[in-house]
Amino acid sequence: MKKVPPRQEHEITQLLAEWREGNQTALDQLYPLVYDELHRLARRYMSRERKGHTLQTTALINEAYVRLVDQRRVQWANRSHFFAISAQIMRRILIDHARRYSYAKRGGGARQVSLDETATVVRGNLSEFLRLDEALKSLAELDPRRSQVVELKYFGGLNNDEIAGVLKISKNTVTRDWNMARAWLYRQLTGSAPN
Amino acid sequence: MNPQRWQQISRIFNHAISLDGAARSAYVKEKCGADDDLKAEVERLIESHQSAENRDFIGGLAVEDLAEQFTEGEEKHALHKGQQFGSYLILDHLGSGGMGDVYLANDSRLDRTVALKILAADVSADQRRMQRFRQEAKVASSLNQPNILTIYEFGEVDGLTYIAAEVVDGETLRDYLRNNRLKLSEILDISIQILAALDAAHEATIVHRDMKPENVMIRRRDRVVKVLDFGLAKFIKKKRPSPGNLSSDEEAITQFKTAPGLIMGTVNYMSPEQAQAKPIDARSDIWSTGVMLYEMVTGTKPFGGSTAAHTIIEILEKNPTPLTHAGGPELPAELQRIVGKSIAKDPNERYQTAKDMLIDLRNLKKRLELDVEIERSSASRHAATGSVQAETVEQSRATHRDTREISKRKLGLGLALLVAVVAVIFGVNVVRNMQSTPAIQPASNATLPVPPAVERTVTYWITVQKFRDDKPYQDPFYLKGEINFEANYRIRLNVRSDRPGYLYVLNEGPTDRTNELQYVTLFPSWTANSGSEVLPADRTVLIPEKSWFRFDDEQGVETVWLIFSEQLIPELDGIKAFASDRSKGLITDATLNHSVNGFLISHSADKVTVERGEKHTILKTTQNVLVYPIRLEHH
Repeated sequence: MKKVPPRQEHEITQLLAEWREGNQTALDQLYPLVYDELHRLARRYMSRERKGHTLQTTALINEAYVRLVDQRRVQWANRSHFFAISAQIMRRILIDHARRYSYAKRGGGARQVSLDETATVVRGNLSEFLRLDEALKSLAELDPRRSQVVELKYFGGLNNDEIAGVLKISKNTVTRDWNMARAWLYRQLTGSAPN
Repeated sequence: MNPQRWQQISRIFNHAISLDGAARSAYVKEKCGADDDLKAEVERLIESHQSAENRDFIGGLAVEDLAEQFTEGEEKHALHKGQQFGSYLILDHLGSGGMGDVYLANDSRLDRTVALKILAADVSADQRRMQRFRQEAKVASSLNQPNILTIYEFGEVDGLTYIAAEVVDGETLRDYLRNNRLKLSEILDISIQILAALDAAHEATIVHRDMKPENVMIRRRDRVVKVLDFGLAKFIKKKRPSPGNLSSDEEAITQFKTAPGLIMGTVNYMSPEQAQAKPIDARSDIWSTGVMLYEMVTGTKPFGGSTAAHTIIEILEKNPTPLTHAGGPELPAELQRIVGKSIAKDPNERYQTAKDMLIDLRNLKKRLELDVEIERSSASRHAATGSVQAETVEQSRATHRDTREISKRKLGLGLALLVAVVAVIFGVNVVRNMQSTPAIQPASNATLPVPPAVERTVTYWITVQKFRDDKPYQDPFYLKGEINFEANYRIRLNVRSDRPGYLYVLNEGPTDRTNELQYVTLFPSWTANSGSEVLPADRTVLIPEKSWFRFDDEQGVETVWLIFSEQLIPELDGIKAFASDRSKGLITDATLNHSVNGFLISHSADKVTVERGEKHTILKTTQNVLVYPIRLEHH
């Protein structure tokens, strides 16, 4: 895994500025950098899990963000954007991967576990994961802010304080948005009939 | 759902979940009033909220939930270790190529380890072309040429098309070139074997079309060359849909134009006719082989522009730097001539068959070996050769057509020595031949290696004896040459020839301290044929005569080399010294092992016709020397 040298860090700051000005390619350029970090995160997570260690994922993801950009050197406005963009990119990376992977798995013994049968839903279940993404898109049409709370929390790994900062809403609102969004998504995934 | 409704639901929901039991029910009932739909919607959401909470739904991080697949996805394989795929157990992932992944797998039906190539879904989608590819690959494989990778099976499991092929423990010529500095003798060995594979395929009217270092493998233990993917090239290039009714090569060039990165690696070895989308034939493979030969010698590709298009222009127009400039002045001019002829722009000016190029390379190799022999002998033999007469030299020049091509540097010294040394070497043989078997014609004509066009037939069969508790168990039985042996099987080899000659049977033994391969002589043997390597016509020798061979504990394929010649083989002369009870046949002389290895490699590409009967395997050749590897699989 390549370390992100300072030059790239500067690049990220620049990219964020460009993105704010509506340069979509800046987002694409950020993709490989975030990919590296996310991948590193997943690997460390897996190795810790295999060894049975207690997981400090929050610490891991903070480290990933720090490695991407020294946030003390980024203006607050940029920082919010940075989180928002990163969460968005992380979502894209994981969904892209799940899509490719489930295609490769097709016919090769993909796990087909329905949501009701598993204790930790979504985990390791590619089709559920992809359906969750679809449901989240529907939610974005219905209620963009609540969808973004989910994106920042579940994909971007931000805590409620950070989300409140990024979305400029109160912490309580974040909690309420999260509860409502999660219940709605759960219902979408388990079907319209009550379970 | 309209936004107002959504907001209404969420307000009721959010407050409701902060309440408990009866208070919650009462609150929902009060807020929803007579709107039953609203009430039902809120209640379902509350229920979902509780389930989500209990199950920690999306409570962690997405990257955690997908970590396993995400990290595993580093290698985007369809199959994983330990997975059962039809009758194959996947043991390891060996690599990924343009057309799919390659795995090491065990075929449980035969308990045989195979290389399993899974073709990418888009490759295998076209049934008609798939069928043709199968045919070509099958034909190439069935040629039974030792330098063509053997294909065991084609099949389909769970919609994935696979090819099961022989496992080659080695590296591609591409990696081999990267990791090793090749000597000229080695380059010639490799080229000769590649051409032997092509010669066999071309005779069966199969053109490879994608000869390149990535499609040539060098086996680690004995450096035998295996050419891969016969038939696949045509297939791959055909698979993509293209407008109109184009021939395969027009498609290839179209593809190249639209997506240079796609077949970039292939462009360097493309023949001019291939690059111009003209019809191609076997001579296109000769071009590609010539390009590889050039690259092996010089370390650089003769045609290599900064982009694929530039490379194509070079292929069409550029005359590459002569080998003697690019590869050093020490290179024989004959090699330059051979390479030049193989990469003539006009196919009509090229070698017309792989066999022609093969013969030239083989002659060059022989001559270089002779040069080395002369140099080595010159010091010690100088006194003996001083009296060679001029007229003998002239005679030699007239009869030995290759003599004039010996490099000028050595000509002065070499030519004078040639006849005398050859006479000395073969003179000894004549004496030997006379002593051991009067039946064999004195090899006085051995100075001129002109093979008489007669067919020699060597027949072998294998007797198997089962053992139990180290005692023979049941009656012995016969089996065909290449079968799987159980661990408790012991074997005996039976060999017969229709002509008298020298027989050698060798097998690979343990490596020495410096990790060099050591051979074991199974014949000549101190226990068989009175210790002699000379086999009279139509007499069967049993190897071993009174006991049985047993396999070592290591599973795998045992290669037993069968070598027969009507004349003594200098490279193998010396083996007999190790056919003693003391050394048990293990050849411990490193120089001799090296010489044996070199001999086997240079002849491994020889053409041998193999006829398998129920019991016997009949080997036929018109060559001077018959070299055939008997493969015995045991486990």
